[in-house]
Amino acid sequence: MTLFAYVLVYSGLTALCLAMNRHHRQVRKGPRRKAVCISLRVSGWLILAASLLLACLSASSWSIAAVGWVGALSIAALVLVALLPWAPRLVGKLALAAPPIGLLGSLIA
Amino acid sequence: MTDGLRQSMSSLHTWGGLLVGWILYFIFLTGTLGYFDTEIDRWMRPELPLRSSAISAEETVERGLIRLNDVAPAAERWRVELAHRGNDTGAHISWRTGRARDGAPGVFGYEPLEEAGTAARRTGGGQLLYQMHYRLHYLDENDAAWIVGFCAMSMLVTILSGVICHKRIFRDFFTFRPRKGARSWLDAHNVLGVLALPFHIMITYSGLVFFMFMYMPYVLDEVYRLDETSQLRFFDNAYPSEPEYPRRSGAQAPLAPIEPILLASAAHGGQLVAVAIHNPGDATARIVVTRAPNTVRSAPQRLTYDGVTGEPIEAPGAAPAAQSAYDALIGLHEGLFAGPFLRWLYFVSGLMGSGMIATGLVLWTVKRGSRQTSGSCVHAVGRLNAVTIIGLPIGIAAYFWANRLLPVDFEHRATWEAHTLFGSWAFTLIHAVMRPVKRAWIELPAVASALFFLLPLINALTTDRHLGVTLPHDGLPGDWALAGFDLTALAVGLIFGATAWYLRVRQGHALSETESASLPVMRPRVKVLR
Repeated sequence: MTLFAYVLVYSGLTALCLAMNRHHRQVRKGPRRKAVCISLRVSGWLILAASLLLACLSASSWSIAAVGWVGALSIAALVLVALLPWAPRLVGKLALAAPPIGLLGSLIA
Repeated sequence: MTDGLRQSMSSLHTWGGLLVGWILYFIFLTGTLGYFDTEIDRWMRPELPLRSSAISAEETVERGLIRLNDVAPAAERWRVELAHRGNDTGAHISWRTGRARDGAPGVFGYEPLEEAGTAARRTGGGQLLYQMHYRLHYLDENDAAWIVGFCAMSMLVTILSGVICHKRIFRDFFTFRPRKGARSWLDAHNVLGVLALPFHIMITYSGLVFFMFMYMPYVLDEVYRLDETSQLRFFDNAYPSEPEYPRRSGAQAPLAPIEPILLASAAHGGQLVAVAIHNPGDATARIVVTRAPNTVRSAPQRLTYDGVTGEPIEAPGAAPAAQSAYDALIGLHEGLFAGPFLRWLYFVSGLMGSGMIATGLVLWTVKRGSRQTSGSCVHAVGRLNAVTIIGLPIGIAAYFWANRLLPVDFEHRATWEAHTLFGSWAFTLIHAVMRPVKRAWIELPAVASALFFLLPLINALTTDRHLGVTLPHDGLPGDWALAGFDLTALAVGLIFGATAWYLRVRQGHALSETESASLPVMRPRVKVLR
């Protein structure tokens, strides 16, 4: 389950990122609705909090899981930052695909 | 007021960063490689058996105990140490006869458990590479620690001033705009710095904590004195090496079977590191199982069991808070608790730190290079940047090449591997001085690319530990530590190749742009000539 928690971080960050004016325009043309932004921001923070909680509860040592979570945060953000200018279409798709893939991965492992 | 502060912080960040940037890049990159020190160690000793054919830790302990019973049945203490991170000699047994505590000179014995361990080639391995990040190799250990400490302190100042002078840390959190010149370099520098900021602060601060008794000796002076014997007394008190064990009673008693004890100790988590037995064969025997920490704290877990009944014996109480904090910081820095996945996270974070330093150094020249008055100073910094940022990886690749190409029975192998690293690094300095800066920035990545990309090939030609053997094949599980090394070398080679190609194409563009820009100036002159 720790792997699933780490993968969730990317989805959470993407939600927070797309709630920002500049990045929303990078990914989607046309006007953006205020309600969408607020729900993206709220769900982004919730997903991040949930993933930290899940990582700490599922691992045998919460302190090690928390260190891993911070590392996952850095690297997920790096992936997101690289995708935004070079492959903006992938940003949202990956955020949606990441949780099921991560869940499958941690069930197999 | 805030603008004034921001401005002064900006100057501090720019010049403080430039002053120590080159050494910091060396420290960060070699330290980052340290997270895979054991994997590099194994790759550099291809004579060791493949992991897939190696026996389990529990089996090694049992074998070790049988061997100890043969060679030293009357010993005071037995110890079986397994191969693990931080033990570069491989699995071995050791024993002690005679009580050293009574003042009698104890007799110590040592024997490697892996036959091939002794036959492996001499090499500094991943340990030497990782030790470079605080020993700086050629320098005296004390001098190196002071230099590294100065750089780490400057790093901390540079990080904090960087956070202050960053104008929009949250609005620009995800912002990277490629192909915009100095703007792109600043974006990259910001992104690499901000996204891994927790890592950067943690690694720099805990790096300082490592040598805190050296950097701040007067704190110890308050309670202990500054002279050497008092300081040793302090370290004895702060880090007691071993608790007191009962004296030999003289009554014979068979040793409890080790397997259930190892199984019971596994509930505490952490990798099995060592097993020690005090007074073996006696009624007072104690079995001490050492496992790697299962928290971020660096102190290993010592689990004591009665050697006859196999019952666990109460462990001493928890360490005081200050010591726990110290252990946690050291543990976070070393990452010895981290499994393979977590170590990859550490590795990438370390690369992000190296990248942050590199982009910062490049940014310094890019900002000044675009001005008309860019002088020889900017060019000199540009050259040193190329030598450091690309030259060091070239040196590291040469280190690995030397490991495969130097004769196996050459006596000073390990020394000359290191000489090859610094020698080829020096060559890149000569190259960068001889060539125009822009050419050097294309040629050096091309050389680095070739060196890393060909590494698996050289490995295949000189050893039988190549990708054809180390990757899973014919139903065998494969050895991912060795395969991972070769695959990473290929990936690094590709990245450097792409860098060289990209810079070549971009400089080609820049050249054709300046040519077309100068054409209108040429035309009138042609007319005059007619």
